[in-house]
Amino acid sequence: MLKKNKVGILGIIITIIILIFIVIFSNVENNTSFFENVANKLVMPIQNGLTYLKNKINGNDSFFTDIKNLKEENENLKAKNSQLEQSLRELENIKTENETLKEYLALNQKYGEYKTIPAYVINKDISNYSKTIVINVGTKDGIREKMTVIADKGLVGYIVSVTDSTAKVQTIIDTSSAISCIMSTNKDSIVCKGTLENTAELRGMYIPTDANVIQGDSIETSGIGGIYPKGIHVGSVKNISSPKNITDRYAVIETAVDFDKLDTVLVINN
Amino acid sequence: MRKVLIHIILILMLFVVYYLQSNFFNWFTIAGVMPNLFIIYIVFIGLFGNKFMGVTYGILLGFMLDYIFRQKVGITALSLGAVGLIAKLFDKNFSKNSRITVMMIIGIATAFFEIISYIASYIVFSTNLEILAFTKILAIEVIYNIILTVIIYPLIQKIGYYVENTYKENTILTRYF
Repeated sequence: MLKKNKVGILGIIITIIILIFIVIFSNVENNTSFFENVANKLVMPIQNGLTYLKNKINGNDSFFTDIKNLKEENENLKAKNSQLEQSLRELENIKTENETLKEYLALNQKYGEYKTIPAYVINKDISNYSKTIVINVGTKDGIREKMTVIADKGLVGYIVSVTDSTAKVQTIIDTSSAISCIMSTNKDSIVCKGTLENTAELRGMYIPTDANVIQGDSIETSGIGGIYPKGIHVGSVKNISSPKNITDRYAVIETAVDFDKLDTVLVINN
Repeated sequence: MRKVLIHIILILMLFVVYYLQSNFFNWFTIAGVMPNLFIIYIVFIGLFGNKFMGVTYGILLGFMLDYIFRQKVGITALSLGAVGLIAKLFDKNFSKNSRITVMMIIGIATAFFEIISYIASYIVFSTNLEILAFTKILAIEVIYNIILTVIIYPLIQKIGYYVENTYKENTILTRYF
């Protein structure tokens, strides 16, 4: 019975280790530097210790002397170190606050023509198939349904429902989202839809047959549809599919906003 | 009294599952795909609870998730309710003592839940039908849920039999024969 239990626990531990490795390997983009890091972390502490010993034995005669002084010095340094750590923590808090304020300022300057309400992302969707977010402002702050939400680099989505202190935002990468857009160079209109394939890309559909789609062209909202104001940057054309039937072609659009790192947004009030 | 205690434990477990899902597993992903702990939770209740527990918890939890994250209320409630129902069907036809069987049940329940949700979203929101991308995400999610089940299986079994002993005192003997 005990043996069976031990085997069971061992199995669970092995499964956890395998899971951690799967997660790491499936998410790390550059595996070479990862392996380098792991190898360094395994070898370097011992290597450092050996080098330290070698240096001491070779060149330093007073290695084993004056231990009392060293201890005192060590205590002083420890006290100083804890003071410095405290200051560092305070500075880090100030730095974070400063960065947030700077972000708000940059957003306000960029979209100065709109009256905006700043907000934090407090929750992201728990499903792999939909991409809504929850922000920390609600009806108390003047938020209403169908208000547009933007971030530093471009469009995020729109408010689908509001409570007193939170609001649910349907992002543009959600598969049920469809935005009427225009290509900035030739002003041809397209519809941008979210896809399951990639959370950093949209699919630009219903491209007019005579339209000339340019790679890297900026995509902006057209203002048609009654939700999004005109001229908000959505992303840029990454590549264009070329099927046999030209009416089926679509453009892959890279979103301007990095939704994985999204934490500060502005809600357009007017 | 024991039944009240069980409900309190299940509700506390629900909060743990929610915070794990929305915080930890948001970044602890396999190729960007999260597991779905809610399915494991509902299957667990469906397998060990009484006749209606899985369905009831499924529908209530689904409504909660719909209110928090979805644009329209109902899809998750319906799908999780269905998961509770099939968990009960599995309970009647399969043994829960085998780890392999429980892993299989979790795998089937995950696929069942996501396929229902996806079809419902396709009908309600007219989303693009991306079968290849959906299948890829679903396969990873199923594997991830199965791996998690292997890890938490002893815990599931322990709490599960406590729940089962309380609710099915008259029928529990069948497990030993």
